[in-house]
Amino acid sequence: MTSAADSCRTPLVEAEGVSRAFRARQGLLGRRRDILAVREVDLTVARREAVGVVGESGCGKSTLGRLLLHLLKPTAGTVRFDGRTLAEIGGDRLRTLRRRMQLIFQDPYGSLDPRRTVGDQIADGMLIHGLATPAEARERVAGLLSQVGLDPAHAARLPHEFSGGQRQRVAIARALATGPDFVVADEPVSALDVSIQAQVVNLLADLRESLGLALVFISHDLHVVRHLCDRVAVMYLGRVVETGPAAAIFAAPAHPYTRALLAATPSLVRRRDSSRAPLAGELPSPSDPPSGCGFRTRCPFATTACAEAVPPLEAFGGDGRQVACVRVAEIG
Amino acid sequence: MERRDLHRLAVPLAVVGGIVALAAAAPLLPLADPVHIEVSARLTPPSEGHWLGQDEYGRDVLSRAIWGARASLAVSFLAAAIAGIAGTALGLLGGYFRGVVEILTVRSAEAVLCFPPLLLALLVVTLLGPGAGTLIVALSILYAPSYARVAYAETLAARNLDYVVAQEALGARSGRILLRTVLPNVAPPLLVQFSLTVASAMVLESGLSFLGLGVVPPEPSWGLMIRGARSTMDQAPWLLLWPCLALTGTIVALNMLCDALRDVLDPRGRTVSANPFRAFVSGLLPATEPAPAPPALLRVDGLHLAIGHGPGALPAVRDVSLAVAPGETLAVVGESGSGKTLTGLAILGLLPPVVRVTGGRILYTGRDGTTVDLARLGEPALRRLRGDELSMVFQDPSASLNPVHRVGDQVAETIRAHRDLSAAEARRRAVALLDRVGLPDAARRARAYPHELSGGQRQRAVIAAAIANGPRLLIADEPTTALDVTIQAQILELMAGLKAQAGGMGLIFVTHNLAVVSEIADRVVVMYVGEVVEEGPVAEVFGSPRHPYTAALVASVPEGDDDRLSAIPGVVPPLHDLPAGCRFAPRCGLAEPACTAGAPALESLGGGRSTRCRRWREVA
Ligand SMILES: Nc1ncnc2c1ncn2[C@@H]1O[C@H](COP(=O)(O)OP(=O)(O)O)[C@@H](O)[C@H]1O
Ligand code: SF4
Ligand code: SF4
Ligand SMILES: [Mg+2]
Repeated sequence: MTSAADSCRTPLVEAEGVSRAFRARQGLLGRRRDILAVREVDLTVARREAVGVVGESGCGKSTLGRLLLHLLKPTAGTVRFDGRTLAEIGGDRLRTLRRRMQLIFQDPYGSLDPRRTVGDQIADGMLIHGLATPAEARERVAGLLSQVGLDPAHAARLPHEFSGGQRQRVAIARALATGPDFVVADEPVSALDVSIQAQVVNLLADLRESLGLALVFISHDLHVVRHLCDRVAVMYLGRVVETGPAAAIFAAPAHPYTRALLAATPSLVRRRDSSRAPLAGELPSPSDPPSGCGFRTRCPFATTACAEAVPPLEAFGGDGRQVACVRVAEIG
Repeated sequence: MERRDLHRLAVPLAVVGGIVALAAAAPLLPLADPVHIEVSARLTPPSEGHWLGQDEYGRDVLSRAIWGARASLAVSFLAAAIAGIAGTALGLLGGYFRGVVEILTVRSAEAVLCFPPLLLALLVVTLLGPGAGTLIVALSILYAPSYARVAYAETLAARNLDYVVAQEALGARSGRILLRTVLPNVAPPLLVQFSLTVASAMVLESGLSFLGLGVVPPEPSWGLMIRGARSTMDQAPWLLLWPCLALTGTIVALNMLCDALRDVLDPRGRTVSANPFRAFVSGLLPATEPAPAPPALLRVDGLHLAIGHGPGALPAVRDVSLAVAPGETLAVVGESGSGKTLTGLAILGLLPPVVRVTGGRILYTGRDGTTVDLARLGEPALRRLRGDELSMVFQDPSASLNPVHRVGDQVAETIRAHRDLSAAEARRRAVALLDRVGLPDAARRARAYPHELSGGQRQRAVIAAAIANGPRLLIADEPTTALDVTIQAQILELMAGLKAQAGGMGLIFVTHNLAVVSEIADRVVVMYVGEVVEEGPVAEVFGSPRHPYTAALVASVPEGDDDRLSAIPGVVPPLHDLPAGCRFAPRCGLAEPACTAGAPALESLGGGRSTRCRRWREVA
């Protein structure tokens, strides 16, 4: 047994060098190729900490989120939860541990079973883990619904009777039902309208505060992440290319990709600067990544040196930031 | 289950139930002995004692039909049910666990399909001896693999759905996930499979019985009756009629039942049906208002659109007016359900069949200088304009491209639909267009199929087709919403560039993203549940909004430095339950009793600005 002091010092979630490959076949008779969705990622999440994972679609954010919850098995590296390596605990003990870690999905339409009432779905976790009798569960469902800002009387309704924002609240209630201390939210507001997005982001912020949750918040929108997260990891082509305090990265992005991402994000307050050309080209295929730095095919600063080796994540700037770019010091 | 569901199920359920009850009650009914032979009364037509006549051995046909139903129904229902349960279990397991389990279940079940059905049946009969029981076993083995296949395919699709992964994340056991979550959601196609299987089992039963592999004569079954009647078809055709009627009637009733069940089990219910005739007639009605001054390009005047018809019609778009000048970019912004897309579709006459124009005008001045009302233009005239003077880019580029044609050919097709050009010349222009929209290596990519391009490249191809004939007005409906920000920036830059080159092209850009509006548009129309609430030049509207909704939208954009985002309380009201008076009142911080008493009108503020708020002076 670890002492209480120990368990406070160890991070709640620790990913070390995790990679995940998917088998895919190109075309009907094409040869098999491995898609390297996540490559050698280190990430720690402390208790009560909110970490943002940012990047464009296909960069491996969702895969990383599922690896952290051991919903996918890593092809290399380890994920530890509260000091225990998830790959080494099996079956029932892993299922018991799942009470403490939860997932919230992007698509509020796909994440709820269309055929069961929201109350039943929220109660599932409590019943599966024997945390409540059906009668107690019903009561707790009412409490959870009002906690996420919904009418407790709506427990008997089916998902299609709710709007997108309300469904996302239901999904949050379901994730909270087992009293988790770690939640991965995979683009939970990306499918919502702005005004609703703000409601849900605020709700997540409040719940994190009051319940002391550790949160991994996956998003392609740096703006939203900044409101919610202490730390950010920016991913490109399966790797973390920059990580550090959210405010610092937002104020002065260091990696050329982070800069491009921020510059490309449209803004209400700053009108588009026509001299600033958008990032050219597209994300290379994760089954055939470029040698060396994954960003070099689109990077305005790329040199021949960038093709030689994968730039390691190295401390930069003294504000707790790490950047994976060989030229980061030069380009200032 | 709701009353209306019971209603739908009532008829097919009663028919199938009646047939089954009749067969079950055969021993209790005052029927003649179905195997009693009376050779002298061979092939007698229907008479008082024998309502349906007598067969080739003089047996009572009515009695044989009812007793025969027992064998036929029992064999086919039991076989279909056993096959269904076994096959579904195999398919669920195989699809859920994949790997070795898949090989042991689905793949080995499929091996059964390689045997000729008769050979398989013979094998079973040799092992078990003939009889109805054998028939059930043989048919179950025969049909189980097709259930397994359907269940397998459905499970594969369902197992990656978020709500199934959610159960896994909750720590549910596989058995619970399979039974409570996957099975109910893969059930509808399996129900259809069930009705198909029962029908085909009934037919096969007759064939196998004839070969002496199934029901053994003289016991009756519909299959044996059909066989028997076939040989005497010339002398007594009615003998063929009765069992065939019974067989088809049962199968039809069963299909109806399964269809109704599937619909009832779909929690989303049924959609409103359209009345195309009404829509057609309303399209023919002439405008009654006096003709206003023609617009330079486009002016929508008091447009009303309704979904459905009759008293239940939903007023999706109400009193929408907007105008686009040549060379101008007008953004239409609003949350989902605000009517942005419908307004855009109405301009091009592309409204889905359930939606119709119930009022207003869409005045468009064409290349030749004449002004027409697009809301009342016939389809042939609209088709001449669409893709030529008016064109559209949709949110989902893959839905706008035909997956089986090369993208270059699709662009060339658009050109040839409106211009008299040779195929070679059109193709040459298509490549030039693809190059102009920034598709890398355009000459080679023109020969690519849509699935070979990325999302951003597909959207470029769609834009190439949209501008192929130099449109005067381009409507782009959320063209960048499905794209990543760096790709979105590329497409926005492309559209701005195209507009600058094609001097005079008007652009209506529909989006929910305020930041995108401020990057691309000159003027903006803000919509809320089907109404325009504010309009004006972008910088002014976003800089100093004159409607509380616009102000709240601007404040909720996550760009500020505050830790908390500013959210609009409440939800967008549904169309069937719009609040009285000002539609925004329930969510508005400035609402006062007068706001709910009467609906505010769109008020012009001068300088091209207007607002639909009685308290606009107080909006901060
Ligand atoms: N189950 C899977 N099978 C094959 N490829 C996958 C699977 N899941 C993800 N991928 C691929 O892995 C890469 C990363 O995907 P994902 O983690 O979903 O990215 P993101 O969440 O950042 O959009 C993509 O190229 C994606 O197509
Ligand atoms: S390592 Fe080279 S290519 Fe990669 S981001 Fe840095 S400068 Fe660009
Ligand atoms: S009319 Fe009244 S309720 Fe409507 S937006 Fe203005 S102040 Fe708010
Ligand atoms: Mg994702």
